[in-house]
Amino acid sequence: MKQEIRFRLNGEEVALELRPNEILLEVLRDRLGVRSPKCGCDRGDCGTCTVMIDGRTVRSCLVLAVEVNGRSVTTLEGLMHDGLTPLQKALIERNAYQCGFCAPGMILSASELLAKNPHPDEDEIRKALAGNLCRCTGYSPVIEAVALAGKETGSGGRAS
Amino acid sequence: MPIMHEFAYAKPSRLAEAVSLLSGQDQTAILAGGTDLIDLLKENILVPALLVDLKGIGELGEISFTGNALRIGANVTFTELLESDIVRRNFPVIGELAETIASVGIRNRATLAGNICSAVPSMDGGPLLSAFDASVSAVGPGGTRDIPAASFFLAPRRTSLRPGEIVTAVTLPLPPVPYAGCWVKLGRYAGEDLAQVNLLVLALNDGSFRISFGAVAPVPLRALRIESLLRGRTITPDLLEQGRQMVEQEIAPISDIRASKEYRMHMAKIMLTRGIEAAAARLRGSGPAYGTSVI
Amino acid sequence: MKTNTYIGMPAVRIDGKAKVTGAAEFIDDLDFGPDLLYAAIVESPHAHAAINGIDTRGAAQVPGVVRVVTGKDFPFRFGLYMHDRYIFAQDRVRFVGEQVAAVIARDPAAARRAALLVKVDYTELPSILAVDSALAKDAYLIHPELRNYKHVPWFFPAGGTNIAHIRKVRKGDVAKAFRDADAVFEDTYTVPRYAHCAIEVHGAVGLYDNSDRLTVWTASQSPYTQRHLFAEALAPLGLSHKDIRVITPFIGGGFGGKAGVSMEIMGAALATAVKGRPVKVLWSREQEFYNTYQRQGLTARLRVGLKKDGTIVAMDNTLNWDAGAYVEYGANVVNAAGLSASGPYNIPHVSIDSVCIYTNLPPGGPYRGFGYSEFLFGLESHLNEIAKKMHIDPVELRRKNAIREGDILNYGGKMNANGLLEAIDKTAEAIGWGDRKQPADPRKASGKGFALFWKAPAMPPNASSSAVLKFNEDASINILVSGMEIGQGLLTVLAQIAAEVLTVPPEKIRVETPDTDRNPYEWQTVGSHVTWGCGRAVENAAIDAREQIFDLVERALGLPRTSLYLERETVRSRTDASFSLALRDFIIAGIAQRDGSYRGGPVIGRGMFMPEFTSALSDPETSQGGHPNVHYTVGASAVEIEVDRETGKITIPKAVLAVDVGRAINPDLVNGQITGGLVQGIATVLYEDMRFDGKGKLLNPNFTDYKIPTALDIPGEIVPIIIEVPQKDGPFGARGVGEHTMIPAAPMIANAVEDALGIRIRSMPITAEKIILTMEKP
Repeated sequence: MKQEIRFRLNGEEVALELRPNEILLEVLRDRLGVRSPKCGCDRGDCGTCTVMIDGRTVRSCLVLAVEVNGRSVTTLEGLMHDGLTPLQKALIERNAYQCGFCAPGMILSASELLAKNPHPDEDEIRKALAGNLCRCTGYSPVIEAVALAGKETGSGGRAS
Repeated sequence: MPIMHEFAYAKPSRLAEAVSLLSGQDQTAILAGGTDLIDLLKENILVPALLVDLKGIGELGEISFTGNALRIGANVTFTELLESDIVRRNFPVIGELAETIASVGIRNRATLAGNICSAVPSMDGGPLLSAFDASVSAVGPGGTRDIPAASFFLAPRRTSLRPGEIVTAVTLPLPPVPYAGCWVKLGRYAGEDLAQVNLLVLALNDGSFRISFGAVAPVPLRALRIESLLRGRTITPDLLEQGRQMVEQEIAPISDIRASKEYRMHMAKIMLTRGIEAAAARLRGSGPAYGTSVI
Repeated sequence: MKTNTYIGMPAVRIDGKAKVTGAAEFIDDLDFGPDLLYAAIVESPHAHAAINGIDTRGAAQVPGVVRVVTGKDFPFRFGLYMHDRYIFAQDRVRFVGEQVAAVIARDPAAARRAALLVKVDYTELPSILAVDSALAKDAYLIHPELRNYKHVPWFFPAGGTNIAHIRKVRKGDVAKAFRDADAVFEDTYTVPRYAHCAIEVHGAVGLYDNSDRLTVWTASQSPYTQRHLFAEALAPLGLSHKDIRVITPFIGGGFGGKAGVSMEIMGAALATAVKGRPVKVLWSREQEFYNTYQRQGLTARLRVGLKKDGTIVAMDNTLNWDAGAYVEYGANVVNAAGLSASGPYNIPHVSIDSVCIYTNLPPGGPYRGFGYSEFLFGLESHLNEIAKKMHIDPVELRRKNAIREGDILNYGGKMNANGLLEAIDKTAEAIGWGDRKQPADPRKASGKGFALFWKAPAMPPNASSSAVLKFNEDASINILVSGMEIGQGLLTVLAQIAAEVLTVPPEKIRVETPDTDRNPYEWQTVGSHVTWGCGRAVENAAIDAREQIFDLVERALGLPRTSLYLERETVRSRTDASFSLALRDFIIAGIAQRDGSYRGGPVIGRGMFMPEFTSALSDPETSQGGHPNVHYTVGASAVEIEVDRETGKITIPKAVLAVDVGRAINPDLVNGQITGGLVQGIATVLYEDMRFDGKGKLLNPNFTDYKIPTALDIPGEIVPIIIEVPQKDGPFGARGVGEHTMIPAAPMIANAVEDALGIRIRSMPITAEKIILTMEKP
């Protein structure tokens, strides 16, 4: 029952033979070695598995890998074409993360927001990040860093 | 968590092909947004032999407005509804509703059609269909048909879809006169939650109201007695109090992990009052902006 | 005062880049090659049952299955402070979800499928789901063997009952003090169970290789404690500590849940069953909820006696803890809370019974705050009720009774220097205590709540830390410790401490997560003690390195060592201003002599710290005589809330927390602890709680129904206030702060709700629903 799929992963063409019941998150992590998306709840509640499909964030734990055939998948690894993005720099500067487990997913969510809305206000940032659970930070330093990235550059993250 | 069982996957590009795939065998499942389905597959609750992915069928991805009705294709996601100018202009309350569904990463995949097909009592699509007197278009081995919202939902997790039938679109007729709406959703906090009570109020320029509750009965329901109480009358505190008192006759909430029936009942009354006030105010051009929660 | 270059600076985290780029590796990110095996766990469906037999034949036949393991394979009892649990259930299961068997297979799906085929024959036993039924006269015994269990000398189990331990405090003459008191107030407060909800689940990978060495990679706060427990639990297999290696990469949040040993024991044990191949046990989110440590439930009955002027003269506090099926760690939570349950107050006559009670619910254990959150809910709520009834301002009542340096603690020791009064005053000012606002929306009421807090690290008397500091050729430094970076910023703080001593900037210092083969001993990263303890070890290691440097310069160049000092990575002399020797010029290569030979060699500093003044030995009936706590960290917190009278929904425009950290080595990281900890604490009172059905099954083992806050559910503003009254034995005066930021949240909200609406809610959580149902009660 295996079938071949082709898709762009962080800008590179990937061809893969897989079974239809394979989950995108597990294929990315275990077969392609892309480990920034994490498994936190396995049912779409926590957002740590967030990746982008064609520039839109999705929960990769709730996507079958066969579904991305012909599409473009971006993970945190794919945002860093020329080193750190302004958003990442702002997050470092602001000591925004503690354990850092939620960071890859949340950075993708924030990048999607900044791509659509380069100067988000605090309310817009909170809404955009509300699907990414963080237990350490209380969110405010992350929200501040996203606002800072928006202010400084007009476009903190980039989706390819 | 891996899915334990194997299944075949098909992604037809034409609707007829999908229908024939689905009528070809017993154990099939339909994949659109997948936000409910994949979880059911992981939990071994659904064990299909064939999964039919509708996302290859272009026509199901369209939002169209004819001037008197909005047609939302089965593949249309909540994000697409939120971003649609047509929707924003003619049905702003849909945006207010869509924004309360889960989170961005879910809304980017989840569809209104999938939401109503789940038919769980807490679904947010139920009151929407019910209040707008929407219809659900389906196609199956027996051809196409339109199912009125009132007869689409049968029981928790049960709809009137027949085996092999695919929902192709949801059609919401534009109310015949200018109107405004208010979506009120009770969650345990401001973040993502499943509704403990949800309510859609439409205030129409002809003095009528449409009021639809969800999560307080096995299926979404129209509060017809309250609608007729309000029809043509000026909204006063006394009238709202009478409406509140009728809530107990309209709904039958239960207690579960998310809320007790007592709190649901209490909140249904508060939500009704605030929803009517906000919808009426919006109709007059005042009231809270769409997207501002009234509870 | 000497000014510092790196201490007190809001330095950027040295692990910041790793964390925002995905470079930080967590347990499930490590690669173990294609022969990695996966375990699926067979779990008890019953809260309490006897196991009559296990049939594994069906499972063993599933393609891909390598081995099926049951309790019989590991009949060894173990535990941290009390040996009361097994690696897999033996003849009995004691909670729903307890591990009974494991299937090890080549892929996770096969393991899952096969686990469903393991047949366990059970006979259900009476299950005890509440402390009252556990304490009933004829209660069924959950641990009939209790009297034979090995335990630390400061536990006092009551064999033949369900009481695993009682910590009794008797200070002064409580009976007389109550008789003489002008007013006595009594009430009962309850706290349910809570889950840590680190976003990363628990996981362990074990490899028992063919040379008989056991390596276990774990997501853990306690690599050395884990190694020790693995060695103890698997001692019958003949493993020595030297043959066990625990490697802990970054962990995705701990909050106490990854302290000690919980599911990781299976990673270690199962590895021995499939020698030569690595085996992974990774919890699902559901398992994370029901089979790791949970925060224990508490019923607290409190009696407080006062003089007319508000002076507290007596307190009688009975804390009944729902400690769950196994208490090997949780009993120490009960113990620590018992010693301190009178709160940060100077009370001359105190009686406390803190009772650790077995129930057929999942094992209780450490959770940020270690019992203090739980008793503070009752204590700080009760003090507000007393203030109201005695017509005293609640802040004034607290101020009047606040503990001061030198006051006698419950166990007879003296209170350390602290800034509690300063914290009270600054918090009151920041929240605008006494000003009342009417919210713009007439349906809303506003209220303010205040609470004090204190907490001591709960450590065995001989808990210790150690550090090795290695210079590199360019005078950059690698520090080896086994304190864990659990998000708090330990690596950065340790780098700042070493930087200050050695004048090497923190960005030139690398501190890595532990590997017990390479990194020296650390007891555990718990109890808000690592900045203090591990920080001291690093400071000592840096001083050791500095002294070696001075010795070498004296020996090689003839400069008197007493004249030497370090400045910007260079050795300078107070007597010879022209002397300047860069560390990078000799720190590895040595200092050249005229004859072409060299003096010196790689400088490696070594440091250690153990608080030698502590002792856990005391009179079991009174707790008098020992010195169990190293110091208390204290503070005050306040909140302003708005409650919608119709919906019960609470919003928090502002929260304030002032904590005396001794010295903020990195104020930005302290502020991070305050913000994150407060939000976590506020969530326990507004949204969260674990719900069990009548058969002991957890009803909300997921984020769909166990609601932890999102970015939309945080206070409008959090005002962090850092107080600095130095801790003499801390590095640069620092003491711990990790837990303290969470523990006052519940009572301050309860007090604010009372202030706003006039209703006193005595059970957590205080949800919108509970507020409405309480107000509607006739």
